[in-house]
Amino acid sequence: MTNHVLRLYALAAALLVFFLTWAAIAARPWASHSSAKADPRWAALASREHRLQHEAIAVRRVVDRRWRVYRVRLGARRRAISAAVRRHQQALAAARAAAVAVSATAPAPSYSGSTAAAPSVRVVTLPPLTITRTS
Amino acid sequence: MILRRSFRAMGTDVQLFLATEPDPLSNALLDGAEREFERLEALLSRFRPDSELSSLNENGRIHASPDLLEVVELALDARTRTSGRFDPTVYDALVAAGYDRTFEEVTQDGRSAALPAGPCGGTVTLDRSAGMIELEPGVHLDLGGIGKGYAVDRAAAILAEAGPALVDAGGDIAAIGRPDALGWRVGVETGEGTITLGLEDCALATSGRDRRRWRRDGEERHHVIDPVTGRPAETDLLRVTVVCETAVEAEVLAKALLIAGEQAATAEAEALGVASVLVTDDGRTTLAGGIV
Repeated sequence: MTNHVLRLYALAAALLVFFLTWAAIAARPWASHSSAKADPRWAALASREHRLQHEAIAVRRVVDRRWRVYRVRLGARRRAISAAVRRHQQALAAARAAAVAVSATAPAPSYSGSTAAAPSVRVVTLPPLTITRTS
Repeated sequence: MILRRSFRAMGTDVQLFLATEPDPLSNALLDGAEREFERLEALLSRFRPDSELSSLNENGRIHASPDLLEVVELALDARTRTSGRFDPTVYDALVAAGYDRTFEEVTQDGRSAALPAGPCGGTVTLDRSAGMIELEPGVHLDLGGIGKGYAVDRAAAILAEAGPALVDAGGDIAAIGRPDALGWRVGVETGEGTITLGLEDCALATSGRDRRRWRRDGEERHHVIDPVTGRPAETDLLRVTVVCETAVEAEVLAKALLIAGEQAATAEAEALGVASVLVTDDGRTTLAGGIV
């Protein structure tokens, strides 16, 4: 019985030593660090990053230049719109006056049909602008 | 600054006043107000054979313009409200009295027309939805006074676009706003002279027997017909001036008060609270209706 238990402990310890040894060998602690840096893919990636940074700066310059041109054109367009609005308002006032002149678009007199709300009147001492006569 | 325009329309001198600076808009509005008088005269004059009113009087019915419908409706409403003292069916009575052409052409003395004078008040049917006006056979309309009041109100509405304005068409005046603190100053003739009223956003009309008078068959006639008798009104009032909200309303009430006579007119003006200046035949002047 005692020999059987001892054999099991010995087997477990052997398995533990085996796996620890395997992990140590798989980690390759003897490989040098400089060999990884020498990988050409790293160099390609670094070069590409550098190129992209230059392209981003160039694109930013183009965008800035186009933004400035747009702002200048926008200001000119806004001034043109303001001038057009002023011309439209003047034309509208003239058209309204002309429309009123010809016609029947003037509001109809507000004839209430009642004399209850007659306006108040006062006698003043200054000379009249006009004198009413019998109609 | 007060701009001023004078012209002749509807058988009277018309003056337009506009309290504003001269500019294209104010000039256009003055032109528009003047043309509005001409347009409405062309529609509403009984002396123009081609007017809508003449066509209605000749044919007894018409598919009327909105303006003619409006004025006839106002006149019929006024006939009801004044219990017949204002009546648009006085046409034949006016012709019978000798007022059968424009006043400038009415001879100062002569023979009367063949038409007999009689009570007015025939049936006038107005269908606003169909735009139709139909007169009872033998009935004819005169819209002289109320038409002029309507034109004054319309012209005032046009000028109001530019600012304070006054439209003066003989006895009918409309005031829009005021040019200064005292309002539009309008003189009213009284028995003793002239008093000046300050007007603001209101209208004034004067009706009387002192003008538009002539002689027929040896007796004096005037243009204010009493619809009850169909003859020139016999009243102790010479002239009545009334202030109301619109020139149409003032024109109607001035005529109704003139026909009513001094006592009834004074009582009615006081009861209604309508500012009125009543001048009697013997030159007395009564201020009624709250003139202060």
